[in-house]
Amino acid sequence: MEIMHKASSSLSCKISFFPSPDNIDSPRTLATPFRHSSASSNSQLLQLQLNRSKNHRPALSPLRCTASDSVKRQEMAGKDGQDPRIQKISSAIRVIPDFPKPGIMFQDITTLLLDTKAFRDTIDLFVERYKDKNISVVAGIEARGFIFGPPIALAIGAKFVPMRKPNKLPGEVISEEYSLEYGTDKMEMHVGAVEAGERALIIDDLIATGGTLCAAIRLLERVGVHVVECACVIELPELKGRDRLGDKPLFVLVDGA
Amino acid sequence: MFAAENGLKGDPRLQAISQAIRVVPHFPKPGIMFQDITTLLLDHKAFKDTVDIFVDRYRDMGISVVAGVEARGFMFGPSIALAIGAKFVPLRKPRKLPGEVISEAYVLEYGTDCLEMHVGAVQTGERALVIDDLVATGGTLSAAIRLLGAEVIECACVIGLPEVKGQCRLNGKPLYILVEPREIDNCC
Repeated sequence: MEIMHKASSSLSCKISFFPSPDNIDSPRTLATPFRHSSASSNSQLLQLQLNRSKNHRPALSPLRCTASDSVKRQEMAGKDGQDPRIQKISSAIRVIPDFPKPGIMFQDITTLLLDTKAFRDTIDLFVERYKDKNISVVAGIEARGFIFGPPIALAIGAKFVPMRKPNKLPGEVISEEYSLEYGTDKMEMHVGAVEAGERALIIDDLIATGGTLCAAIRLLERVGVHVVECACVIELPELKGRDRLGDKPLFVLVDGA
Repeated sequence: MFAAENGLKGDPRLQAISQAIRVVPHFPKPGIMFQDITTLLLDHKAFKDTVDIFVDRYRDMGISVVAGVEARGFMFGPSIALAIGAKFVPLRKPRKLPGEVISEAYVLEYGTDCLEMHVGAVQTGERALVIDDLVATGGTLSAAIRLLGAEVIECACVIGLPEVKGQCRLNGKPLYILVEPREIDNCC
C-alpha cells in the first residue's frame, strides 16, 4: 500500500526540506536570555494539555491508511508501521470542546504551529509525497490552508493559489457556491491564476464533511485543471468527507476520530 | 526602513518582486489602488526570493516567534518561521481562534476592528517578528505590537505605502519593508 511503503522507507532516510537550525536540538549559547523553541513549545503543550477536560478521551489516534479509495483500507499494524513523525504531529494538535458551538470538538492546529519540529515534519511529509508528482499548483483554502500551502508550494516548485471567501480577492474571480449545515457559502479563485492542463494539489488543515474541498475541486476543474489529490493534516472520518470527494484521492496525516 | 536603503540597494530580486505585484484600481472601493500580492505567489522564483530576503535578515537575530496577521500574513509568515526555526503564531480576526485569547482593538477608516492571539502562545522574553503583506496606516501592525508587547523585535512587510515612508519605526518598533507600491502605469 502506497502510504505504508512511504512510511517505512522514511524511517531509514528522513529528508528535511528546511535546514535544521542550530536551536532545535541543542540549547542556544547566546548571552541574550531566551528560551529555545522546543523547550518553550513543550511546556506550552503541557500547559494546554492540562487544560483539556479530564472526562473526554483523547480525540486523536495514530495514522490510518489514507491512500485513495481504490486501495483497500487497513489499520496500521501498530506503531512500527507508522512514520515516527506522525505521533508527535498528532499529539501537538489540541482539541477544544464545544467550539464554535456545543457538541463540536474543535481540532486546533495552532499548537502544532508552536512546535517547530512537528510543524516542520508536517510540511516535510507532504513535500516528500508530492515533490515528484509534477504538481504545478498548490491551492490553499482560506484561512488555515494558507498556513500549510505556501511552504509546500515553495518546496516543490509550485505556485500558490489562495481559494478565498467572497469579496476578498481583487479583480476578476470565478465563484463556486457550496452547502453549509445551515445555508450556503461561496468560494472564489482568481481568473487566470491557473491554466488548463496544470496539475494541482488542494490543501486545508482539516476535512470534515468535504463540502469546502469539493467546492475547491469544482473551481479548479471548471478551468481545466487536473486535481491530483486533496491533502489535509486531519480527517474526521465519521463525517465521511472522503466519500464526498468521489474519485479524488485524499491524503491525511492523522485522524480526529 | 526599506530594504533598498538597508543593504539591498540594486538587488535585482527586489525589482522582480515589485514587478510581480499586481495593482487593481478601485478595490475595495473607488480611489484605492489595491496592491495584489497573489500574482507574486504565482511567480515561484519571486515568491521564494521574498521569503529568502526575510529569512536572511532574521536568521541570526534569535527570533523565536513569527506572528502573522490574518490572512495574507499567513501566506508569508510560516515559511519564514520554518526556515529560521521559530514558532508561527496566527493573529486573527475575532472569534476565529478557539480557546482563550487576548484581544486588541484598532481603528479603521469607519469604525473599529479587533485582532486576537492565543493566551500562552508567546512567553515573556521571547523575540518576535510580526509579518503582514502590506503596511498602510500602520493601524493593524500597531495592534499586533500591542498584543505581543515588549517581545516584538521588528515588523516586516512586503509592501509599504507612502504613509509610512520616512518612518523607520512603528509604535517604537523598527519596520522593514521590501518594496514601495506599484503605480498602475508601471504595470506590465
